[in-house]
Amino acid sequence: MFHWLEKHPFFFAVGVFVVIAFAGLIEIVPNFAQASRPVIGTKPTTLLEQAGRDVYIKNSCNACHSQLIRPFKAETDRYGHYSLSGEYAYDRPFLWGSKRTGPDLHRVGNYRTTEWHENHMRDPKSVMPSSIMPGYPWLYTNKTDINTAYATQLTNAQFFGVPYNKPIPMKDGSTAVVKMAGSVAEAHKMALEEAKEVVSRMKDQDVKDAVANGDIPEIVALIAYLNSLK
Amino acid sequence: MENRPLEYDYTVAKMFMVTTIVLGIVGMGIGVFIAFELAFPELNTVFGAGLAEYTNFSRLRPLHTDAVAFGFTLSGIFATWYYVGQRVLKVSMAESKFLMFIGKLQFWLYVIGVAAVVVSLFMGITTSKEYAEFEWPIDIAIVVVWVLWGISIFGLIGIRREKSLYISIWYYIATFLGVAMLYLFNNMEIPTMLATSPAGETGIGAWYHSISMYAGTNDALVQWWYGHNAVAFVFTVPIIAMIYYFLPKESGQAIYSYKLSLLSFWGLMFVYLWAGGHHLLYSTVPDWMQTMGSIFSVILILPSWGSAINMLLTMKGEWQQVAASPLIKFMVLASTFYMFSTLEGPIQAIKSVNAIAHFTDWIVGHVHDGTLGWVGFMIIAALYHMAPRVFKRELYSKSLMAAQFWIQTLGIVLYFTSMWIAGITQGMMWRAHDEFGNLAYSFMDTVDVLHPYYTLRGIGGLLYLIGFLMFAYNIYKTMSARPVEESELQNASPMGA
Amino acid sequence: MSINEFAAYGYFFLIVFLVVVTYSYIYHLYKNRKDSSGVDYENYSNMALKDDISDTPVKPISKREEK
Repeated sequence: MFHWLEKHPFFFAVGVFVVIAFAGLIEIVPNFAQASRPVIGTKPTTLLEQAGRDVYIKNSCNACHSQLIRPFKAETDRYGHYSLSGEYAYDRPFLWGSKRTGPDLHRVGNYRTTEWHENHMRDPKSVMPSSIMPGYPWLYTNKTDINTAYATQLTNAQFFGVPYNKPIPMKDGSTAVVKMAGSVAEAHKMALEEAKEVVSRMKDQDVKDAVANGDIPEIVALIAYLNSLK
Repeated sequence: MENRPLEYDYTVAKMFMVTTIVLGIVGMGIGVFIAFELAFPELNTVFGAGLAEYTNFSRLRPLHTDAVAFGFTLSGIFATWYYVGQRVLKVSMAESKFLMFIGKLQFWLYVIGVAAVVVSLFMGITTSKEYAEFEWPIDIAIVVVWVLWGISIFGLIGIRREKSLYISIWYYIATFLGVAMLYLFNNMEIPTMLATSPAGETGIGAWYHSISMYAGTNDALVQWWYGHNAVAFVFTVPIIAMIYYFLPKESGQAIYSYKLSLLSFWGLMFVYLWAGGHHLLYSTVPDWMQTMGSIFSVILILPSWGSAINMLLTMKGEWQQVAASPLIKFMVLASTFYMFSTLEGPIQAIKSVNAIAHFTDWIVGHVHDGTLGWVGFMIIAALYHMAPRVFKRELYSKSLMAAQFWIQTLGIVLYFTSMWIAGITQGMMWRAHDEFGNLAYSFMDTVDVLHPYYTLRGIGGLLYLIGFLMFAYNIYKTMSARPVEESELQNASPMGA
Repeated sequence: MSINEFAAYGYFFLIVFLVVVTYSYIYHLYKNRKDSSGVDYENYSNMALKDDISDTPVKPISKREEK
């Protein structure tokens, strides 16, 4: 058998491939059905949160921040309850990160506020004097890409059955509904509503003016997303 | 044509040698810059506040990893393939116009792909999945480049004169197949422009944007199955292919045991794929998968060391060559670093060690003693060996090579020692509690303590980069050095003072 | 059979299969100094050492053997 393989590169290649592929199959497939079941209380992102998530990805926040709390006392003391698989059921892509140059952010919405983020994102040293995180001042002027966020929501709903506009069971027995817009125009209106809510707690006049004029700076979307991480 | 003897044709190999060097400088340059950004955050705006969006750490980090992995390393793999492939199959690219065309096409498409990657990552167009940041249009281009390489491999094998396949060829084939499968599965994504709104609008938003086919934990699982094995099939398997050719050839020694090389090949193939779970220890993937990841990571030491020891024993009785030739030095140190990082990796994959090491700089250190010491040194050695044969000239300067070797070695040592200390210190501080059971340190405390190590790491990286620039200069000057006879090229490469 | 059981069986049999293959390969290499066409395994190193285009291949492809 081995002599034969040594002489037939094609079958050799097939053999290598089968070995590799089978290992992958056994390792990955069985977990799929289970892990994708959301825990009760997990909601998909709203439009502005989705846009903020895109901003998070665009700036590779995940290069330095994890979103995965491991089940150790030190981690739960620091960041809150350890992460559950079902909490990520709607995360496409996942944003666990692989390096904590900065702290974990999986439940950052529980202990940081809009005001804090507003100061911190412009100049991290203003709230954390020895921080090594760079400032992100361009987020205050760049405009949020609402269209792509809306398209992402639509894709999630149409291809992966993410329950937008459907009742979602919550922990206290009630149900919640995350609304998704019916058209691009409506999407912009909805995003602006959400943005006004966030901006009402912000101080930067330029950002406030922009939202009043119907534009949403990226920082507003990002803060909406960070606040949703609980 | 009639009276000219057949020769190997290194046109495509030369082209990829150029991209190896250029992208190496780019990738390592960015790496050094972002290393210093961590030590001195003011550097994030050193090119002005207006450009800060494009020069800050988070934008550049994927650019660094992709430039060294898919720029420098992949170019090196292609360059050596178009050199080694012909030689051990004893067939020239000049014999087939078709394969020559495919090779050149592959090169130019590759260059276009690299350009697209650079532009898109600077703009922040990324899927966020590590080493798979590219959006779907670039993914498609990459698949095409890969298929072309496959045609080239199997095409060359198809017209070979040597019936058996040398061990290096096996490794190149495994690289081709492994990466193809991994890349395809991890990059399954749906372009968001395919969605239709209830009002009937289509093609909404950025046309290049897509979302992953997998969600949350599954996405993580596929990503690290990919991430781990991309390390296997880009940073390990093809580099072994190189050392199995270049070390015996340069030293004139037969491989210590060809049988052992066959055995460790299969061992590596069987075991490597299972070890991916160690990236997700204590995460939300099932326990049995995590444990399996740990166990297989430890077993992985055996085939890895099989190859490495085989290489070191190839030099048995010929150790004076290590002292005499800087080229052999590069390769011997490369296999030493290979042993070293394949021992370090399994240690980090043990659950209790991983609890401290994960998310810290120790992992960064581990990656870099593998890439700088093993991958970088091996590709540098391969190109040094190829240069005299490709250009038919002696290497410009032996003493420059020796200086480069020592500067880069010092750089690597500074790099991994500082990252070890940084990683373990931070990992221990994160979990430290005081006598009342409260956390002993704030997160900020654990960052402040890292400053000296980040500075040292930056210096280590800078030394490596300086060495790489010396390498580029040496190769450049080789093109106009003393021409050499065919007979000088049998084994040890001819070197100038 | 649930998908988890399937994975467990698949995993088990794959491991058994790989162990058998690997050990039989070790035995095969140990027992045979030469491969089926009578070339000593260690001679294959010459594919790298004598790789000029004018060198004689270790095992030329033109002469198709009986097997």
